Amino acid sequence: MSPHTPPKTDDSSRVSRRGFLLTAGVATGALAVGAVGVTAAVNNGTTGPAVAPGATEVVPFYGVHQAGIDTPPQSSGTFLGWTLKPGTDRETVRRMMRLLTDDAARLTQGEAALPDNDPYLATNPARLTATFGFGPGFFQKLGLSAEAPAGFAELPAFSIDKLQPEYSGGDLLIQLGSDDPLTLSHAVRQLTRTARSFATVAWSQSGFTRDQGTAPAGQTGRNLFGQVDGTVNPRRADEFAAQVWATGSPSWFDGGTSMVLRRIEMNLDTWDKLDEGAKELSVGRKLSNGAPLTGENEFDAPDLAAKDASGLHVIPTFAHMRRAKTDNPHEKFLRRPLNYDDGIHADGRTNAGLLFAAYMANIKTQYVPVQQRLSDLDLLNTWTTPIGSAVFALPPGCQAGGYIGEGLLA
Amino acid sequence: MNTSTSVTKRGLSLVAVAIAALALVGCAPAVTAPVTPTASDVWIKAVPELMDGMAMTGVFMTLENPTDEDIELVGATNTTEGLTEKPLETHEVVKNAAGEMVMQETEGGIVIPAQGSVTLKPGGYHVMYWDLLKPIPVGSTVTLTLEFSNGTTLDVEAVAREIANANETYDPEADAEGSTEMNH
Ligand code: HEM
Ligand SMILES: [Cu+2]
Repeated sequence: MSPHTPPKTDDSSRVSRRGFLLTAGVATGALAVGAVGVTAAVNNGTTGPAVAPGATEVVPFYGVHQAGIDTPPQSSGTFLGWTLKPGTDRETVRRMMRLLTDDAARLTQGEAALPDNDPYLATNPARLTATFGFGPGFFQKLGLSAEAPAGFAELPAFSIDKLQPEYSGGDLLIQLGSDDPLTLSHAVRQLTRTARSFATVAWSQSGFTRDQGTAPAGQTGRNLFGQVDGTVNPRRADEFAAQVWATGSPSWFDGGTSMVLRRIEMNLDTWDKLDEGAKELSVGRKLSNGAPLTGENEFDAPDLAAKDASGLHVIPTFAHMRRAKTDNPHEKFLRRPLNYDDGIHADGRTNAGLLFAAYMANIKTQYVPVQQRLSDLDLLNTWTTPIGSAVFALPPGCQAGGYIGEGLLA
Repeated sequence: MNTSTSVTKRGLSLVAVAIAALALVGCAPAVTAPVTPTASDVWIKAVPELMDGMAMTGVFMTLENPTDEDIELVGATNTTEGLTEKPLETHEVVKNAAGEMVMQETEGGIVIPAQGSVTLKPGGYHVMYWDLLKPIPVGSTVTLTLEFSNGTTLDVEAVAREIANANETYDPEADAEGSTEMNH
């Protein structure tokens, strides 16, 4: 499981892993074949060409919402930001979205794209999802600014920001995730081949969570600071409806969502100088299991009023959790980030952090107040630096024969 | 395959259509109408810009034959306005005497086996467009009519897709004219 995400054992969730298993079995029957293969290999003691059960697991592409948002995070993911080529008009963008939708609909179901020069790399979707979004420039360049979702705009500047243009902005987002990095790489290439006829790459950012096969069951994932990250998040359909899916105006965006993508560098080297107690104070939760410092278990409610013998707050006033936490139902959202680790700088420092992806109906009212509080005070800022920022409007899903964004572009 | 053969074949297929039509009119109750094969995943290699006045491309698809007898794709006619004035051809890719993969017109069309299918794809069978008069942008559509050996025809729409391969050289079968580098 990734940071910031629900444990996969949550059966009440409509996006539970079990749900996907069932869907995959019904949709293709391929899962059953895979399972048989595994059994056979075990029984005769050989290591024949068994297919891991997860390899053929399929997430439906068509639906009310785009996949890849309420889908439990895959172990690998890539975000691609694109800049529309000069002179691109609405008709051209319609063609682009039709082709991208067609590629995504095939690849996510384990079929080769049309055309696809490496069709054998498409056969193990491993929960591959492809999700598309439109940046502020998309609306401006196409004369569609009046159709932009409520509250949708580039984030205001924050004092903590050290944004680099090579990780910021973008007219078009392609977000891909899979539990198989080879499948993911192939999907990235296929969609890139289609998109580059219409747009140029602004940035490409890849990240990871734990391998689904080795992730401890029922535990929220960890980030590269070693923290259990993703405890407080929407899980049930009604929580998604309240926080994530847009409704009302503009009507084309009904069932869509807005996304904030922040590339946040985490200084693992200075973080290393802290001992466990100091690390726990920075967030207000235990490193061992993610429990609040006032509780025993991960999902215990934190007691923000509790004080220790010397009269100090057990969960400090500067703690990330206290600063981010809100009782205002209109300031909650989904966090679905990936860890990134792009190797080691020449001077030996790590080049790692979080591709912090958050999803909400309205960026301005739900996200900005929380980000502003964290920018004003959050001890975690000592070791973290936002170096990239982008926002996208993710249209609702589509049905077979349709395409993503049709409500806006048709 | 030279042009005259191609013309002859097309002529034959037209005759076949005529005969089929006559048969239908003549003894309708006794004769079951010939079955039209189905086409799926029809696409054409995009030609974003015309190069050196030598613009050509190929159409690819999967054809299915639900009948108990083989049917051949014997020809095709472009129905996209202003795209080309040259007749379309059915092509295959073969190894020539020099060991290179080259394309040439098929002898007798492309067989769709009984109760089976054939996939036209880069490096293999395709429907050939010659002398394009305008570009085919990625994502645009091209329409054409497929002609089958049983006299049936099928209108199809090919979506233009970018792809790097399908660049076989044209080798007009040992003709002394030499070969032409193709980009389709
Ligand atoms: C590298 C950067 C960050 C790290 C390492 C990090 C880490 C954490 C951790 C460990 C928790 C506690 C467990 C949990 O509920 O998931 C947490 C909670 C949370 N974080 Fe972050 N976070 C980061 C950036 C952000 C940003 C940029 C935002 C939003 C602007 C944010 C919003 C939240 C929220 C809303 C909570 C839940 C608070 C609650 O209701 O208890 N975080 N974060
Ligand atoms: Cu050819």
